[in-house]
This record gives sequence, C-alpha cells and structure tokens, in this order.
Amino acid sequence: MIINTTILSWVTFIYFASAVFYMFRMVTGKEFWGPLASLIALAGLIAQTAALILRWVESYKLGIGHAPLSNLYESLIFFAWTIVLLYLIMEWRIKSRNLGAFVIPFAFFSMAYASLNVKSGIQPLIPALQSNWLISHVITCFFGYAAFTIACGLGFIYLLKGLEGRESSSPFLRLLPDREILDELSYHSVVIGFIFLTLGIITGSVWAYSAWGSYWSWDPKETWSLITWFIYAAMLHSRFVRGWKGKRMAIMSIIGFASILFTYFGVNYLPGLHSYF
Amino acid sequence: MKKTLLSFLSSLKLTIGLLIIIAVASILGTVIPQQYEGGQSFSHLSPGLVKVFKSLQLFDMYHSVWFIVLMGLLSLNLTVCSLNRLPTSWKLFRKKPSPDRDKPFEDLPPDRILATEKERNEVIRGVEKLLHRRYKRASRKDTANTTFFYGEKGAYSHFGVYIIHASILIVITGAVIGSLLGFDAFVNLPEGESTNTVHLGRQKGIKKLDFTVRCDKFSIAFYDNGMPKEYRSNLSFLKNSDVIHQGPLLVNHPITVNGIRFYQASYGAVPGGQAYITIKKGNEQGTTIKVKLKDSFYLKGNNATATIERIEENLMTMGPAVLVNIQSPEGNIRLWVFKYIDRIKEGIPGLFKKVPKFDPGLFKPYYFKLKKIESKYYTGLQLSHDPGVSIVAVGSFLIIIGFLITFFSSHKSFWLRVDEQEGKSRISVAASSNRDPVGLKRETDSLVKHLKRMI
Repeated sequence: MIINTTILSWVTFIYFASAVFYMFRMVTGKEFWGPLASLIALAGLIAQTAALILRWVESYKLGIGHAPLSNLYESLIFFAWTIVLLYLIMEWRIKSRNLGAFVIPFAFFSMAYASLNVKSGIQPLIPALQSNWLISHVITCFFGYAAFTIACGLGFIYLLKGLEGRESSSPFLRLLPDREILDELSYHSVVIGFIFLTLGIITGSVWAYSAWGSYWSWDPKETWSLITWFIYAAMLHSRFVRGWKGKRMAIMSIIGFASILFTYFGVNYLPGLHSYF
Repeated sequence: MKKTLLSFLSSLKLTIGLLIIIAVASILGTVIPQQYEGGQSFSHLSPGLVKVFKSLQLFDMYHSVWFIVLMGLLSLNLTVCSLNRLPTSWKLFRKKPSPDRDKPFEDLPPDRILATEKERNEVIRGVEKLLHRRYKRASRKDTANTTFFYGEKGAYSHFGVYIIHASILIVITGAVIGSLLGFDAFVNLPEGESTNTVHLGRQKGIKKLDFTVRCDKFSIAFYDNGMPKEYRSNLSFLKNSDVIHQGPLLVNHPITVNGIRFYQASYGAVPGGQAYITIKKGNEQGTTIKVKLKDSFYLKGNNATATIERIEENLMTMGPAVLVNIQSPEGNIRLWVFKYIDRIKEGIPGLFKKVPKFDPGLFKPYYFKLKKIESKYYTGLQLSHDPGVSIVAVGSFLIIIGFLITFFSSHKSFWLRVDEQEGKSRISVAASSNRDPVGLKRETDSLVKHLKRMI
C-alpha cells in the first residue's frame, strides 16, 4: 500500500474517534469531551491534507501528474475533507460544538466508503478529464455538497430539538442550540451550498462546452444537479416569499441532501457522460 | 378574466407546481434512454409501450414540445412574478423616510445611547460630518430641541433578486437562440480523406459546409497500464484548395473555423488498411509482402493467383486476420490467415479439422502467416455552431453577481437623534435592515464606536 492511502485509512479512524467523542459530549453532557473531539478532528484534517498533497506529488512521480480529484475514491476523500474543513470553520465561528456529532459522521462515512469499496490507486487521466476545469469544477461542487451536508445535519438536530419540552427531555436535548439559531445556521449553510452548486454547474458547463461540444446535454448528472438546484431554489423562495422557517426548512434540507446523494452516487447507475465519477 | 390569468401566472403555487413537474419529467428523462440519432433498439420494452413513449416524445424528451412548453411557462412565471414585485422594491429603494421619527428609538438598549459634556451644536456638526462621510444617502431634520439624522446603505440590495431572475431569463434566451440558429453535427472522416458534408444531429439531414475539412492523420496514445492517454486528429481546413487552418484536434481542445467548433468525439478503424503476409514453402525463409484490399499476387509454380478479400482488425475476437482467395487450375480455396494462429490453435484442439479454412497450410505446399496489419483509422468529429453561447455566459456571470448582492448585502437604515438631557448632549442610535441582523449589528457597533471617538 502506498503511503498516502495508509494515512487516509488512518484518517478514517481518526474521524470515527472524533465523531464518537462529539457524541460522548452530547450524551454525558460533560464539556471535557468537546475540545478533545475538536482537536482530533483538526488532527485528522491536517493528516488528510498532508496525504492529499503526498498523493498529488506521487502522481507526478508516476509521470501522470494531476490533482487528486480524478476518480470516485479521490472525490470521496475530498468530500470528507471539505465537510471537516467547513465544519471546523463553523465551529470556530459560532463557538459551539453541538453540531459535531451530526456532521463529522458524514465525513467518516465518506472516508469509510472510499476505503472499503473503491479502488484507491492513482490512475492517469483519460483524455476527457485532461482539463484545467477539472479542479475548479470538482472543488466548487464538493464545497457545495459539504455545505448541504452540514445543512442536512442541522435539519436533523432541529427535528431532534423539537422533541424537547415533552415530559422526559434528556439533558442532551437541552444542550442543543436554540431552534432559531439552528434555523439561521441552516439557512446560511444552504446559501453557501447554493452558490457553490451554481458555480459547480457553471464550471461544469464551461468544461462540457470545451470537451463535448455543448454546454448542456441533459446527461443524467447534469439533469440531477439541476433537480437539486430546483429543490434548494424552492426552499430559498419559500423562505423569502412565504416566510417558511423551522421544521419545513429542516425537512427540505434533508430532502435536498437526498437529492445530492443521488446526484453523486445514484447517477452512476444510469448511462451517461459522468461515468468516471 | 385578465386579472385571474395574471394572478395565476404570478403565483408561487404555479412556480412550485412547474418545478415539481419539470423535476419529475427530468427524472423520467434520465431513466428512459434519450437519443435523437435513431437506430437504437428498445428490445427490452414492449412494442405498445414504445408506441406510447414515442407519441409522447419521451425518447427525445428534453426537446419535446411539452417540455419546451413547461420551460416557457416557467420563464413566463418568472417574468410576471418579477414584474409584479418590482414596483414594491423600487419604492423601498426610493423611500426616504423622514428622519424625525421617534418610533425607532423606542426600547433602545443603553449601549446605543451616548452622553457627552460637549455643547449640542458641536455634537450636531460632528454627527453630520461623520454621517455624510459614511453614507451617501443621509439627511437631517431639526425640530425645536432635537435634531434628527437618517443615513442608509445597501438600498441596491432590493434589486439582487431581479438580477438573478433576469440572468436566468438571459440564459434561457441564449439557449433558445442556440437551438434556433445553431446546429450540431457529426462526421466520420477516414485518414487522408476530406469532406464538406456533415450529418446533422438533432435537426437530422445533412449540411454542406462552405469549406472542406481533411483528416491528415489520426493517432491514439496509451499509458503504460493500457488506459487511453490521447486521441489526436491532425486536421486541415481548406477553402478553394487554400489551407485556411491547420492543427491538431484533441479532446478538450476544440478548433473553431468560421464560427463552427470541431470536437474530437470518437474514432474507429476503417477497411483499407495494409497487411503484411509472410509466404513460405516448406522450410525456406519465406518472403513478406505488403498487400491492400483486393490486391492480387501470383504464386509461382502452382499457376495460382491469390486475392485479398477482407482485412479485419479483430476477427471474432481472435485478433487480426486476412481472407485470401486462391484461384488455381484445381479450383478455388478461401482461407483466413491469422496473426496469432499458434495461440488460437492451442486454445481449440483439432481446429483445422473442424474449420479447414483456418489452416495456414491448406494450400500446399504454401504456408501463410499474417505478420501485422496497419490499420487505417477514421476520426469521429463533432461539430457545433451555437450563437447563443456568449449570451448564456453573460447570464451565468450575472447570476453570480445577483447572488452576491442578494445574499451578502442588505439595506441598512440608521436613525440618529441628538438632544439634551440633564444638561448633557445625548446621541441615540437606532438601526434596522431588511435582512442580515448580524451584519447590521456589526455596522451599528462600528458607527457607535466612531461616534464615541468623536465626543
């Protein structure tokens, strides 16, 4: 096994540990676990960044140099990286560790899926992928996906928080942030995700225009990204125009995330041009 | 009647309904195979279903009449909604609230009220200067013992959403222009050949270009692991036998000639390649000859003529093979000459008994062996002419600008009141905004900080 994949398989366990500690913190209500969980997540992020750089360098040593964003394995790894990066920035900005237990598991799942089910070797780029648009397209898309992942995590917390107030409200529900704050954070995540998704679609169209002769060809991945875009556009409109908030937004952010998952994975089972992801 | 139609067209219900219908239709389109070139078989579908699907244009759904109508309705809905709301936003943008209002100052937190020993007129002069420096749109009103100020920024943020909607309409316009005035086409061009006729894709039929394209050479390069590395067509474009453009065409690097973009789309082998055949008698060295399709050569001694009837890249997955027809006084013999005959023989015991025409020694005393084939390729070129692209690009760019305005700016209003209380001058600061409370607080804090520094 090459060094970068070894590090990456360790990072999978690091994120698992971090997620577990975030959960300990919630269940026990002891703050002690919080900083530990954050520190471990940060260590994982640093190790993962190093592994990605190593992988990049390694590809150049193989004479097929390209950014580590070129196949399903690399995209899953990058997805986890963007989730943890965005989460840690958010944790630092809002000074609250309550969301970790709902967000870091997504990073762990992505890493675990990559290491268990997907070929991890560095492959050369086929002609269609040899484009400068590869990097900007993949980066914008995955930052969008990561922001929507966080919004989905927030949606779950919002619904959980709704259980509070009934007879046996456990201490960990009380620890969760107020619903207004959750709603506000979820809205901000969706806005960030929406802008990045739009940028991802635009960069993808520019790339398609230089590779396939058409900026839009209704390929399943394109179509599904448009459907996802519609879902989040509808969500933002119902908030702006109708003033929808709270539970409905939480449910919509979960539906939107399901659409993201289908755009990312489900589409691979349909015939189309994006078959290398 | 007119009113109800208009209110229907501008309703959010219509928007949501259309988005759902378009989304569901699009999902159908990703499940049903889409094609416009024809010829694909739908053997896994029952003929009745194929008929229904065809009448609903489901095999080319995204270009079907009903899908275009849906998209048209969505554009209309977007336009009507935006026009409906525009006057409200315009009023909000133009609105200059009178500064002498007391309502904003109700329930003001203590940290928004500053007191100073300084004389009131001096304070008023300072506040006015500061406000005019910070906000382009600022105004003042004096009453008996009180002076009011009003300043605002970001009033343009009311228009962000219209920029987004207009940009989406621009993108759709570009797409419509492209599909009306543009075309897409393809042509398979063998090496060394040229053409000015291409097959239209969606519109069907053929199209004559006002120049000729020639494929000088096609080549493929592979990585060590066998994955393709590069597809390259060396193309020349000619007009009245003058070369107007020449260059390599690669995937991701299209060539534009006279507004038509050429893309490297596919490739394949064509008959017309050359084969090298070794012919020997008994144990002698043998001679290798180069042959093309339909070439004939003489076999000394037997008074026989051999003709090359077929050259195959890969015959029944057994590798390169050539069909030779030998005519001699004794009669006609056809035999396939393979490159990898030894390997094939090992794989199928008793092959020559079963299929005598695979026996390289069938025509005695000669023995034939295929040394190699030099394939001739054709390059598959995709052509497109789309005059709407620059409009779509402008629209996409404006969408992002619209996003930045809508999501990252807000209309912030500030009310300041200067009066006297218990012999001290007093400044009260109130603020409001249409969104982004966090940004408003930051801006207000900064304003208060500057006011404190002044007094």
